[in-house]
Amino acid sequence: MSSFLSMKNISKSFNHVPVLKNVSINVEHGEIHALLGENGAGKSTLMNILGGVHQPDEGAIVLNGQTVEMTTPRTSQSYGISFIHQELNVISDLRVYENLFLGNELKNRFGFVKVEEMCDKTSDILAELGVDIHPKTYVRHLDTSYKQMLEIAKALLHNSRLIIMDEPTTALAEHEVHRLFALMKNLKQTGVSIIYISHKLKEIQEVCDTYTVLRDGHVVGSNRMKDENLDEITKLMVGKSVSEDRLTESHSFGPVALEVKHLTSEGFFKDINFTVRKGEIVGFTGLAGDGRTELFESLFGFRKKYNGQIKIFAQDVNINHPKQALKAGMGLVPKDRKENAIIKDLNVIQNMSLSSLAHFEKAGLIKGRAEREKFNFYEQKLNIKVPNPKTTIDKLSGGNQQKVVIAKWLEVNADIIIFDNPTQGIDVGARREIYQHIVALADKGKAVIILSSEASEIRKVCHTIHVMYQGEVTAQFAGEEATDDEIMSYATGSKRGR
Amino acid sequence: MAEPEFERAKRSTKWNSRLSWIWTEYSVIIAFLILFVVSSILSPRFLEFSNLMNILMQVSIIGVIALGMTMIMLSGGIDLSVGSVLALVGVFSVIALNASGSIFIAIITALAVGAFTGFLNGFMVAKLKIAAFIATLGMMAAARSIALYTSDGGSISGEVEGFSAISNSSIGAVQSPIFIFGLMAVLVFILLHQTRFGRYVYAIGSNEKGALLSGIRVDRIKMAVYTLAGMLVSVAAIIETSRLNSISSSSSGQLYELDAIAAVIIGGTRMTGGRGKVVGTLFGVLILGILNNMMNLMNVSPYLQGFVTGLVIIIAVVFQKRE
Ligand SMILES: Nc1ncnc2c1ncn2[C@@H]1O[C@H](COP(=O)(O)OP(=O)(O)OP(=O)(O)O)[C@@H](O)[C@H]1O
Ligand SMILES: [Mg+2]
Repeated sequence: MSSFLSMKNISKSFNHVPVLKNVSINVEHGEIHALLGENGAGKSTLMNILGGVHQPDEGAIVLNGQTVEMTTPRTSQSYGISFIHQELNVISDLRVYENLFLGNELKNRFGFVKVEEMCDKTSDILAELGVDIHPKTYVRHLDTSYKQMLEIAKALLHNSRLIIMDEPTTALAEHEVHRLFALMKNLKQTGVSIIYISHKLKEIQEVCDTYTVLRDGHVVGSNRMKDENLDEITKLMVGKSVSEDRLTESHSFGPVALEVKHLTSEGFFKDINFTVRKGEIVGFTGLAGDGRTELFESLFGFRKKYNGQIKIFAQDVNINHPKQALKAGMGLVPKDRKENAIIKDLNVIQNMSLSSLAHFEKAGLIKGRAEREKFNFYEQKLNIKVPNPKTTIDKLSGGNQQKVVIAKWLEVNADIIIFDNPTQGIDVGARREIYQHIVALADKGKAVIILSSEASEIRKVCHTIHVMYQGEVTAQFAGEEATDDEIMSYATGSKRGR
Repeated sequence: MAEPEFERAKRSTKWNSRLSWIWTEYSVIIAFLILFVVSSILSPRFLEFSNLMNILMQVSIIGVIALGMTMIMLSGGIDLSVGSVLALVGVFSVIALNASGSIFIAIITALAVGAFTGFLNGFMVAKLKIAAFIATLGMMAAARSIALYTSDGGSISGEVEGFSAISNSSIGAVQSPIFIFGLMAVLVFILLHQTRFGRYVYAIGSNEKGALLSGIRVDRIKMAVYTLAGMLVSVAAIIETSRLNSISSSSSGQLYELDAIAAVIIGGTRMTGGRGKVVGTLFGVLILGILNNMMNLMNVSPYLQGFVTGLVIIIAVVFQKRE
């Protein structure tokens, strides 16, 4: 009768705002358990309690029939629990293997670290994940997708009995996700349990055995996974079903807004050519290491070493700083919000206004009231769940932080706007709404570029899709005619040239 | 589509969260009040008006420097050169004063020298990517050396009538250094909390890469921060020089960096940047001032004052860590 893990009647409040109310969840040996719910439902908080990051106000954790107290993250680890956090936690100034073994270094009997052995183990685990990076590379040089795979590798390394995965695949392409799933299924065979949080329901259906749905801090459903009940689950989560239809109609576009010719950056991307017209939505997709993020960081002036020609509204431009890009009418919503977008010591409102403070100034002074009113506007428009907008932004749930980042760039109102993985961490219901807002931007005559690892997702919104493989554009499709399989075969490099 | 329950909770918690917010944001004010009450119990002379004005007078120079230090530390940097630069500014401005006979030219010279050294600090930190600690340590040695060289290691006195009036006059009951300190505090407060520039300083101290990707000219803002802080050192140097109508190239400004950094840290500004307040620094300055004043009133050896300052910094940092 007793499960491997039971969290019983857990309640938790932050500053007297109840976040979890009497939540119970059971996980068996060798089970992959999906934890679902809309943004701000309390998933990460529940897992933070299990991981020893937060203490519950009420309730108990029973592991293998014994009541345990998770007082610190270390305690939780000592019970055989690994935790992949929602926000990336890798340390940029350390090497790959140092990150993997941080705090658990292998030492010989004289206390010296065994570098070669750690490197070998690192290579093994990365090979299993299908990641081709050298163990001694500095993490600083890695793309977000790789960092996410490092987080996964780190958790796999510890021979844990339970692995908590809080949105581990937000930066990964389907191909990479499948590798992870294969590993998860192997682990399951050996009796390891996994709690899996994701907003990508197809993944859930593919790999999870059971699920629990949280809504506003309550458990609203818990059951075995069956093929036919995805729509039911969606309804439980967001209170409605979500349409899967294509969002964009093809229509005529305006003049060319952005033209890129022969753009090359040694080691990142090669001979890139494309145009984006006013009113057009252009997508870029590929696997980790495809160079799309670096390409657009270069266009945005964040990276400086590249050759080639860039024209904005038919004018040659030479952009060396993001500020110049902004002035030229370009905006970039970056991926990896924790590192690139969130200013964690500024409050929610100030994060929203940071790139467009001129809109809120009068006689050189910022008008707090104007900022607040604008934030209220976006709070409603994007349905951002904020207990108190004057708290620092790191107190929001991941998905809600992401919505604030989107609000920040909507407020900038750039003519050419680049979204890099815009829906990372955003729930199924809100995801479609975000894309509707993006389509509305194009309808207003903006030139829109979307970078995403999920071809199936951007297919619904893009007029044109470019597939990249190792720094080159290998194929180009009209949005309606692309199929997932075809995109995948170009993204993995098994097909080239089109 | 927030649930009604959520909305209700949101309102009912406002008050509670405000209380705990006051505690975390303003623990330095509470510390100040406690110190103030204890001091007035320990020494009856403490509360005398002349003594209180005396404390303000004593802290005005460090106070002005600490305002600039607050900006720098919020941006994630530090400036060890303030004491030496104060001496350098003092020496150059007195030389300019005596050569030109004009107080106006002396003040312009002071501001220019402070701005220039500050700019150099900023340039080293922002463009050459030298750690602020190292860059300003170099400036600390270099500025002192130039001050000593220019004045042959001695003191120089002003020979122009009226220069000493800058620090030795009063407006009503308020002596002018206090007034100048107050004015600078208001200016820096507005700059940091109500302008774009201030917002950028916080953003850079909190997440430099994020700030850059938000379209902030990180390098320029950093250079501006160090330059402005240098100009505040100039203001402090003018007060100091005018007060005694002379400046010592060897001893003026010694260890001012310690007091200024201490005041900022006691005031709750985080060492790594991004978090802190001008008001906190003001109370940090006052706490140091009261401690020194009490030690004088109670006849504690002046040699022990550094010990107490050191102790208070360490306690303040321990409290910060706990947060
Ligand atoms: N440290 C904290 N302080 C105050 N409030 C918090 C804190 N952490 C979380 N919250 C609040 O708790 C609620 C639940 O957050 P949580 O991060 O658990 O959501 P989630 O289900 O993981 O959402 P998402 O899908 O967006 O990641 C949110 O309203 C959030 O603002
Ligand atoms: Mg979460």
